[in-house]
Amino acid sequence: MGSSEDAITGLGRNAGAAVLVLSSLAGGDKHGYALVKDVEEFAGVHLPPGTLYQLLARLESRGLITALEADNRRRPYRLTAHGATVLADYIAAQQRILKTGQARLKLSWKLA
Amino acid sequence: MTSNLDDSRRASRLLRWYPPAWRQRYGEEFVDHLEQEFADRPINLGRTINIAYKGLVARASDMGLSNDEVNYEGLTRAALGTSIALIALMVVIMLDLWSRAMLAWSGRRYHPISVSATTGILTVAMGLLLVALMAIALMIAVSVVRQIVRGRVRPLVVPSFLAAVSGGFLLYVARSLPRMLGAYSHLRQGGVRWTHLGSTVYALAEITWELTQRWVTPWNQGGMGVSSVQVVMNDCVPIAMFVFGVALALLLRRVELPRIGARLVFPALTLLGGLMGVFFVAYLAWSTVGGPSNYEYFFPESQWLGVVYLIVLALVPVLVVSSTFLANKYQPRGQRNHIEIVSSRGDAA
Repeated sequence: MGSSEDAITGLGRNAGAAVLVLSSLAGGDKHGYALVKDVEEFAGVHLPPGTLYQLLARLESRGLITALEADNRRRPYRLTAHGATVLADYIAAQQRILKTGQARLKLSWKLA
Repeated sequence: MTSNLDDSRRASRLLRWYPPAWRQRYGEEFVDHLEQEFADRPINLGRTINIAYKGLVARASDMGLSNDEVNYEGLTRAALGTSIALIALMVVIMLDLWSRAMLAWSGRRYHPISVSATTGILTVAMGLLLVALMAIALMIAVSVVRQIVRGRVRPLVVPSFLAAVSGGFLLYVARSLPRMLGAYSHLRQGGVRWTHLGSTVYALAEITWELTQRWVTPWNQGGMGVSSVQVVMNDCVPIAMFVFGVALALLLRRVELPRIGARLVFPALTLLGGLMGVFFVAYLAWSTVGGPSNYEYFFPESQWLGVVYLIVLALVPVLVVSSTFLANKYQPRGQRNHIEIVSSRGDAA
């Protein structure tokens, strides 16, 4: 689990954007702009082109995603099995934190 | 139609922020992506800044100055190559500072210097730095010849040409050093006493100063006792040294090193960074505690310029050691402290 988390947290301040990209690709193969639109739709976040392609390069070199054959000028990306495991582990860890936070807010502050 | 053409041009212009290798891999899809972005969001300064910044990060990574690139082999080679080029550039400044320190050691211009702890440390650090650089250059030269004999010439053509031209020029200039030494020995009347270490170091410092000072302080006209042709040749020496350093950097990125060489490159570069650090500390200590009797020789004419050189000189060893450390750190386990024998261009060893 530790190494899975490292694969994402090792991306530093881009870790959040990496989770968005991996989550988008978990829903199917997408090229760069389709990815941006999808992330915008489900998270309300716009990934600037420079950030997106820096992330794609880093995720690809870490073996979390793979580039497919280009269709005209558009190259789709696919989540690898390793990428899916890393994302699942990361989300599970975040969910544990989320549940703890929610429970404590409910107990002490009557919120959430 | 015009709008599409404009978008395409804008996208291609923005792509220029990125290094060639990146453009080759992502260029087409990136341009396509940008064209779609422009259609949705025509004007966006934040986007332009984002692309420019990430492009510069990619360029720094391409030179081995950041750990953004995760192509470990390429990163390691790039870090080592850039370190060599930086060191070659710094050596020009350091040689000038060393010669000034030696010449300024005595209050009297033509008095042989005394050999003391500080002059010794500065001279030995400078000498070892040059020897280590020459050893690396020799190792690379042997590897280049080996690779050429094996018929894998193509990636080595341009850097080998640059190294041959600049190296040949440096050797040619070195031929005239005894004549220049003769010119200086006349000025000293007694001539150079080679058996006296202080006198020899002083004479070498004079020649070094002659070769470097117009680059370190361009407004300072030297050339005393030297012909105008020789002065022009001397002026070209720092350029040749820098070109030679860049050629070495490119060769180091492309050549297939022997196993022993691949193992020794990291320690050698750490040694170079360390020697630069020792030189800097000794120089700084001497300039702040005690120092030469005629201070104006010590910093290159403008004191502020001298301070700038010292700051740069302090930063380079840190950069060299940290970039090689970073490159090494991000190597996969079991591959640390050496670089692969296969070249970064993917040619089989």
